[in-house]
Amino acid sequence: MNDEARAELRAAWAIARKELRIALRYPLNAVNEVLQPLYQFLLPSLLLGATFLVGGRAIGLQASAGTDDLAGFLFLGMIVGGLVSTAFWEIAFSFKREMDAGTLEPAWLTPTSPETLVIGRAISGLLISGIASAVLLGLGIVVFGASVSPGIVLALPALLLAAFSMIGIGYLVASAVLLIREPTFLVDATNFLFAMASGVAFPVLVLPIFVRWVAYLLPTTYALDLLRAHAIGARPLLPLWMEWLALVGFALVMLWIGRLVFGRTERRMRVQGTLGQH
Amino acid sequence: MNSTAMDLRAFGAAGMKEWRLLRRYPSMFLGFLFWPIVLPLAYVLQARAYSGESQAALDAFARNTGTTQIAGFLFLGWATYMWISMILWGPGTSLRTEQIRGSLEALFLTPVSRLVILFGPLVSQVAWAIWMFGIVGGVLVVFFGVSIGPGEALRALGVILVAVPALYGLGALFAAVVLRFGEVQAMVQGVRGVFTVFCGMSFPIAILPEWAHRVALTLPPTYLIGDLRSVLLGSSSLVGTIPDLAILLGLGTVISALAVVAFKRTERHARRGGSLAQY
Repeated sequence: MNDEARAELRAAWAIARKELRIALRYPLNAVNEVLQPLYQFLLPSLLLGATFLVGGRAIGLQASAGTDDLAGFLFLGMIVGGLVSTAFWEIAFSFKREMDAGTLEPAWLTPTSPETLVIGRAISGLLISGIASAVLLGLGIVVFGASVSPGIVLALPALLLAAFSMIGIGYLVASAVLLIREPTFLVDATNFLFAMASGVAFPVLVLPIFVRWVAYLLPTTYALDLLRAHAIGARPLLPLWMEWLALVGFALVMLWIGRLVFGRTERRMRVQGTLGQH
Repeated sequence: MNSTAMDLRAFGAAGMKEWRLLRRYPSMFLGFLFWPIVLPLAYVLQARAYSGESQAALDAFARNTGTTQIAGFLFLGWATYMWISMILWGPGTSLRTEQIRGSLEALFLTPVSRLVILFGPLVSQVAWAIWMFGIVGGVLVVFFGVSIGPGEALRALGVILVAVPALYGLGALFAAVVLRFGEVQAMVQGVRGVFTVFCGMSFPIAILPEWAHRVALTLPPTYLIGDLRSVLLGSSSLVGTIPDLAILLGLGTVISALAVVAFKRTERHARRGGSLAQY
């Protein structure tokens, strides 16, 4: 590794530490990382699931997903939901926050590459999301009776590969955030659609056929499928080796496309002088 | 012109100002079209997965909810959730927004009644609530084959109007509390979370444990959701539609009175401490 690469890595870690420090300054927001998914998605979904139980068993879910572990199905979905949310809100939307605060141009004027700004935010976002997901999964097991098998560790590399893909998606969404003056609705809506199409709330097989094809083009669909297959024995969409292969392919392609688009957007904004406008 | 007429005029002007602000941000219109359809749709798909096309699972749903209209049940629940979200994010935090913009002190120096300041921003939102329920109704009729005639639509409108004092009272109470303590996001999330968990947006409250069921019956959205489902889908109401509406009106009166008291206290505290413009 040459000196320049080492310096960029140091800068990425410094950005991540800054973001983590800001997160720790607002403990209520940190607690919300766990509570919000719980009361906004998990509890309403669990209670809706309870409405369909027959003799205490989720026989419908067993038929559609190959598992009757309702809590396990939903809490594992939330892990990937957190990953998606990190790409959209923590990586991409943080540029909007910097724009509003007026600190984006000064950050861009430092010798650090703008791509490193994305990597730094990705590190902090993934750390926060990882911790929140672990706490949520613990709650799912202890309080809601999710029966997650130790085989889940076999699926952890799938999450890592999906994280690389999501950094690529983060670059893409960040490009859109930089170009659009009011990106809140775009980020909110695409984040939700991305998570739903990945199967966070339900198996993708219940989607209409044309949306299902979109789901097959998302890396998170396969990461979540592998996670559920290994952890709760859910029926996978494809043979597992194909899903692993797809994940590796997505990680490489998404990172490449994301960096390419982000680089071009950044150059365009420098030429047009629109970086500080919002 | 007497003072009541002047206050009414100011009330209308406050509503018009909020409406004008809303119109300035066209991306919000997209949200008002997108979320009332997409959010409930996600839960309809989830329900499809939970049923797995098993007749026994579908029967269990019908037994628990009193209706076989899964889409109608979920769309009405989540439409109420979105209405509450709009109230909490918009009018519910309007005083705080004025404080951040620096216009709150100027507003307090005008001779209008404090009730106008507290409830004025809520007026324009009634139009949005009706728009949103209209979209939900349209989707249910066109895509899910739910039969909603003019009679049912009028009864639903009646339920929505009866719920207005309770929900906007909650919004005003929330605004007073937010103004006093200064935290918006976490409080909105917290209050919305309580309603989501207890009020039966995605489930019938009958399946809640006894203690949670009791909590649900003290919250106005529970009655609104239950009565909308009852008049539009024929599902069983909580106590009976008319008694439910009476409870909703009663809760509205109490909550609005509490909002006025909380607002007066907040104002007194702010005047003494000189903190009206601080945030």
